Amino acid sequence: MKNKLLLVLIAFVGSHVAQAQTVDEIISKYFENTGGIDKWKSLQNMKMTATGKQGALEFPMTIVQLKDGRQMSAVTFQGKVIKQGVYDGSTLWSHNFTNMKAEKSDAEATENYKQDIGEFPDPFLNYKERGLKAELIGKEKIDGTETFKIKLTKKPIKVDGTPTDNVVFYYFDAENFVPIMTESEIKSGPAKGQISQNKMSDYQEASGLMFPFSFAQGLKGQPSGFSMTASKVEVNVKVDDKDFAFPTEN
Amino acid sequence: MKKIYFLITQLLFLQATSSFGQDAVAKGKELFGDLRARHIGPALMSGRISDLELHPTNDRIILAGTAGGGVWKSTNGGATFNSIFDDYCQSIGAVEIDPSNPDNVIWVGTGETWTRNSVSIGDGLYKTVDGGSNWVKMGFDKSERIAGVQVNPKNPDEVYVAVLGPLWSDSEERGLYKTMDGGKTWNKILYVNQTTGCSDLTLDPKDPNIVYATFWDFRRQPWAFRSGGENSGLYKSTDAGKTFNKIHNGFPKGKLGRMAIAVAPSNSKILYTVIESEQDKDKGLYRSDDAGASWKQLNNDFGIVVRPFYFSRIEVDPRNPEVVVKAGLLGSISRDGGKTFKNLGPNHSDVHDIVFDIHNSDHLYAATDGGIYRSWDGGTTLEIVENMPVCQFYHVSVDNEEPYNVYGGLQDNGCWFGPSQSPGGVEAKDWRRVGFGDGYRVYPHPTKKLIYSEMQGAENVWRFDPAKDQAKTIQPLAGAGETDAKHKLRFNWNAAMAISVHKPDRFYMGSQFVHRSEDMGETWTKISPDLTTNDPNKQNQENSGGLSKDNSGAENHCTVFTIAESPLDENIIWAGTDDGNLQLTKDGGKTWTNVIANVPGLPKSTMVYHIEASVFGKGNAYAVFTGYQIGDKNTYVYKTTDFGTTWKSIATPDIYGFARNIQEDYANENLLFLGTEFGLYVTLNGGGSWYKFTNNMPAANVHFIELHKKTNDLVIATHGRGIIIIDDISPLRQLTEEAMNKDLFFFTTKPTHISETNGFGGASTETQFVGENPSTAARIIYYLKKRHTLGKMTMEIQDATGNKVMELTPGKSKGINVVEWNYNIKPPKVATGKTFSFGGFTSQRVPAGTYKVVIQKGKDTYTNNLVIEYDPKSEVPLADRKLQEETTKKLYNMSQELAYMVYEIDETVKYAEGVKSKNAAAAKSITPLITELTKLKETLVVMKGDNYVGAAEPQLREKLSDLYSKVASSYYKPNTAELGNLQALETRFNNSKTEFKKIKDKELKKLTSLLTPENKFGSVPMKSYDEYIKEP
Repeated sequence: MKNKLLLVLIAFVGSHVAQAQTVDEIISKYFENTGGIDKWKSLQNMKMTATGKQGALEFPMTIVQLKDGRQMSAVTFQGKVIKQGVYDGSTLWSHNFTNMKAEKSDAEATENYKQDIGEFPDPFLNYKERGLKAELIGKEKIDGTETFKIKLTKKPIKVDGTPTDNVVFYYFDAENFVPIMTESEIKSGPAKGQISQNKMSDYQEASGLMFPFSFAQGLKGQPSGFSMTASKVEVNVKVDDKDFAFPTEN
Repeated sequence: MKKIYFLITQLLFLQATSSFGQDAVAKGKELFGDLRARHIGPALMSGRISDLELHPTNDRIILAGTAGGGVWKSTNGGATFNSIFDDYCQSIGAVEIDPSNPDNVIWVGTGETWTRNSVSIGDGLYKTVDGGSNWVKMGFDKSERIAGVQVNPKNPDEVYVAVLGPLWSDSEERGLYKTMDGGKTWNKILYVNQTTGCSDLTLDPKDPNIVYATFWDFRRQPWAFRSGGENSGLYKSTDAGKTFNKIHNGFPKGKLGRMAIAVAPSNSKILYTVIESEQDKDKGLYRSDDAGASWKQLNNDFGIVVRPFYFSRIEVDPRNPEVVVKAGLLGSISRDGGKTFKNLGPNHSDVHDIVFDIHNSDHLYAATDGGIYRSWDGGTTLEIVENMPVCQFYHVSVDNEEPYNVYGGLQDNGCWFGPSQSPGGVEAKDWRRVGFGDGYRVYPHPTKKLIYSEMQGAENVWRFDPAKDQAKTIQPLAGAGETDAKHKLRFNWNAAMAISVHKPDRFYMGSQFVHRSEDMGETWTKISPDLTTNDPNKQNQENSGGLSKDNSGAENHCTVFTIAESPLDENIIWAGTDDGNLQLTKDGGKTWTNVIANVPGLPKSTMVYHIEASVFGKGNAYAVFTGYQIGDKNTYVYKTTDFGTTWKSIATPDIYGFARNIQEDYANENLLFLGTEFGLYVTLNGGGSWYKFTNNMPAANVHFIELHKKTNDLVIATHGRGIIIIDDISPLRQLTEEAMNKDLFFFTTKPTHISETNGFGGASTETQFVGENPSTAARIIYYLKKRHTLGKMTMEIQDATGNKVMELTPGKSKGINVVEWNYNIKPPKVATGKTFSFGGFTSQRVPAGTYKVVIQKGKDTYTNNLVIEYDPKSEVPLADRKLQEETTKKLYNMSQELAYMVYEIDETVKYAEGVKSKNAAAAKSITPLITELTKLKETLVVMKGDNYVGAAEPQLREKLSDLYSKVASSYYKPNTAELGNLQALETRFNNSKTEFKKIKDKELKKLTSLLTPENKFGSVPMKSYDEYIKEP
C-alpha cells in the first residue's frame, strides 16, 4: 500500500477532463489528491531527511517544521552540523559559516518570519482564515506542462523598514493538481529584484500524504543552482526542544 | 507544503571558498525545455531609454521604458535595474505608475514615440496589478505607439491614454482615450484626424479634471519624414475630458509640429510647452502663467528647438516652478523660469527624458541614447547606470577564434567587438570599440586579424587592425568623371556589406550598385548597374523633416540593403534593395536579373531586408521582406530552390510580428531560425510550423542572426537587449517526430572536452552587468514526452565497469532537458574537526573515457553513453595527466582513510566515556585510552579556532586537504614540491596509523574486555570503512 496515493493520483489524472477551475477547486483537489484535508490538518510536525546538492558538493540535510511555527534546517559539512533558519518560538537564528556560531537574524527578518507562522503544513490550508488571499491568475506552461498560476498574497512584510507586499506564485500542475513551482521576487540582498524559483517534483507517499521529494532552486532565467532530494519524510515525530533553541553558549 | 527555508547564498559562499502567436509560444515552451539563451550585453554603453517614471512616495523605486529593451525597474534608488517586461513588446512609449496604488499598479504603453528611422513598433497597452509580476493586455493592439498614460490620483479606474498611433500610415486609432473602469472599456474622447496623433498628455496635479494634451501631425516614409501640419495643437479640458479647447493664445501662426506640455507641480497655473512651428524665430519654449489662457515665448536656443521629432519632453522641478528641464541633444536646464538654459553636464548625447528625485531636486535622472544617467548635483555631473544591457544592435558577425568574438554596430553607440565568453563572465572591459557614430555592420576578415566596420550611411567604412590600433577608411567613393548627380553613390543609413567564403580578401558593399573589392577595400569595382528603382521621388532627402529640416542621411533611399554571395558558388550573388528589388547574378555580376516579380503575395516596393544564400543548393535561398515602413506589418519569409524563379512562403500564422532575418542550419535543411520584431522563432520542418523560443529570450526585436559553424551557437543581435546566444543548437537537428514520441529520448552528443581553465575570474564591480559565460560542463541531453511530477526519478553516471561515479539531479521538464556535469565526482570524505578544511571541498575530476548515463524513471531505465575527452588543445602530456590523476586519487583516499580513523577515534572515545560514566571502577583502566586517543586526534585535525583568522595551527587533515586541493585543481602534473610534500604527509600519516594501532593494541582491549550487561558486544560498535564512506 506504499504507493496507494500515487495510484489514486495517476487514476485521477487518467480520468480527468480539463475544465474551468476556480482557485478553491484547485486547492481543494490538491489536498484531496495528496491525502485529504483532514490528514493535512492533523499534522503536528514534519521531518525531511534529504541530500542537498550544489555543483559537485553533496551534503546531508534535515528539515523539521512544527505546527507551532518552530522549524530547523540542518546541513552537515565534513561532519559539522550547520543550522540555518532555525526558529525556536521567539528567535530566528542561523549558524555563521565562518565562526560556526549561532547568530540571531536581524529583527526585521524575524518579524517577517513570524508573520508566516501558521503556514504549516501548507500555506493553502485554511488560508482565508489566516487572512491570506489566493487568486487564479490563469494558465501557464511551466517545464513544458500546463499549470494553473495561483497568486498567494500574504501579510505584507517589511524590507529595510518599508512595508512591502509579500506575494508567492504557485504553479499547480493542471493534470495532477500539485504545485510544481513557486516563484517570488527576492526583496533584499544581492539578488534583490530578481525572481527566485523553486521547482518541485517526484511526489511520493509518506505517512499517507503525498510530498514532493525533489526540489530545485534558482533564479529565473538561470539554471537551478541548488537541488535537494529527500530520502525520507516523516510526520508527527518526537522532537527535542534543544534542537531549535538558540544556543546558550553564545 | 510549506516553503523550505534555506539560505542558498550561504551555500554559494561555501562553494566559492572551497575551490575556484501564443500557440507558438506554448508549443515552444513544451519543446525547448532547458535549452536557454544567455545574454552577454554589453551594458557599458547601454542603449536608448525612452521614458522614466518615479514612484510617488518611495524614492528607491524607478521605472524605465526603453526603445527596444522593455521595462526596467530599480528598487535601490537607481543603483541597478532589473527587466520586468521580458515576455512582451520591448519598444516602450510610456510607463505610468498609478499614484494611488504605486507599489502594484503600473501601466505600460508600448511603441516608442521618439520616431527616428529605426524606431520599432508597439502592440498596445499593458497593465500589472502586482508590481510587474504579471501583465495583462488592456487593448490598443493597433495603436503602434502610445505617448502617455495618466491615472487620476483620486480614482485608479479613471485613466487617460494618449495614442500617437502609426508612424508610417494613416490610422483612426490615434487620439486621446479614457476609461472609467480600470481599462475594461475605453472611449475616444479627442480625435483630430488620421495623420494627427496625441503626442503628450498631462493632468493638473491639483485638479485631475483638468487635462492637457498635445496633438502632432506627422508621417514617416522610408525616404522622408514630415513633422508638422495644419492640425497639430495643444488642447485643454476642464471637465475631465468631456470637452476640449485649443489653448493657442500667443502661439505662432501657421502649421505646428511636435509639442510637449508640462504643468509645474508646485503651481499648476504655470505651464510650459515647447513648440515646433513654421518660422525658426517662433520655435522654442513658451510659458503660461494663467493655466494656458495665454502664452509667451521665452527661449529658442538650439538645445530647445533641436530635432523636435526626437526630443520633446519638458519637466518642471516638483518643488520650484522656475526650474525646468528640456530633453535635447545634450539636455538643457533653466533656473529662471525658462528664460535662459544651460546644458546638462557631460553625458551621452540625445536626451529623451529627465526626472527630478521626489525628495531632492539636486538628484535627477536622464534618459539618453546611451542609458540612464544619475546626477546628485543638479545635472552638472552625471554617471551612467552600468547594469542595463539595452543596446541596439543592427547586425552581428562572428570569427573563428576560440572563444569566438562577436562583432556588431549599435544605434548611436558605434561599432564593437567582444568575446563570446571571458574569465568571470563577459565584462565591460572585454569590449573594444571599432567605430564611431551609429554603428551598423561589422565583419572580421575571414583569415586575417582585421575588422571591417562602418558608420551611418557608409560615411566612413574602416578596415581596422586591432593589434596595431590603426584604422584606415576604405569606403567606395565617386571616381574620376563621376561627380555628377547621376553618379552620386547612395548608401543606406545601414549600408550593405558582405564578405566572401571563397576569397578571404574579397569585400562587398552596396550603394545603388554592388561594389566588389578583391583587396580588402583598397580598390573597388562596380559589378552591377543601379539595382534599385532609382525613383527620383524617393531621393529628396534635403527637404525631409517637415517644419524642421532634417537631412541626417537616415532617410537615404533607393539603395542596396543586403548582399549575399552563395557559399557554394562565388559567381552567384544576391542583392536586395530597400525599394523592393531582388536581384540575382549567376556570373559574378556581369548580368543581373530582378526576380522580385516571382515572389507571390508580396506587395510592390516591400523592402528586401535579408537574403540567406543556402548551403544546400546553388539555387536555394531565403528572402525576408519588411513592409512596415510603408504601413504593412505582415510577415514575409520565402524560400526558393530554383534561383528565384519560384518562391514559396514559409511564414505561417504561428509567427507574430514582421520578420527581419532568417538563418538556416548548416546541417539540417529543415531547421531554420527566424528573427522578428517580437522575438525568435524556430522551425523544425522547413517552415511548415514555427515555435517561439522564450527561454531567457525576451520578446526583443531581432535584427540579425548568425550561426557559428564550429560551435553551433546561435548568436542573435537584438535591437534593444544586446547580444543573446543560444549555445550549441545541434540537438535540435535530431528532433524528429519519432524521437518526440518516445517517453525519453537521449540525444546523441559529440565527445565532450574537459575545459582546462581554473583562473581567477573577472574584475567587475557589484553594480556592473556581467554577461553570462557558456557552461564548460558535459551536457547530458534528453527529451521527455511528459513532465515528470509523480514518483521517483534519478540519474547517475557510471564508469566503464558499471561503478557509480556520481549522482546527478535529472531535469524533469517536458521537452528538452539538459543536465550538466562538471566532470567531478563528489569531494572526499573529510575528517571531522572543529572547523572546516576548505581544501576538502574540492572535487576530483574523472579521467577521460566512456561513461554511461543511467536514468531511472519509475520502473523504467534509460541509458546513454557519454564520451569525455581531454582538451585536444592542451599541451599536457598523457603521462603527466595520469600522474596528476593518480596523485589526486592517492590524496583523495588518504583523506577518506583519515576521516575514518578520526571517526573510529571519536566513536571509541564516545563509547569509552559512556562506559566510564557508568562504571567508576573501570575509569582508571579506560582513561589512558581516552587520553591517548585524544592526544593522537589533536595531531590529526584541528580541535579549536574558527574558519577565519582565528584558525588553529593546521594538522594532518588540513595539510592533506590543502595539498589535495592544489593537485586536484591543477591540469598539470604535481610539481616537485607537491610530490615532496606528499611524501612528508604519507610519512606523518603512517606514523599516526602506527600510533593508532599501538594505542588500540595496548589500550583498547582494556575497554573491550570490560564485558558487562551494558557492554555486551565485546567490541566498540563501529561502521565498516565502506559503510562509513557511503554515507552521504
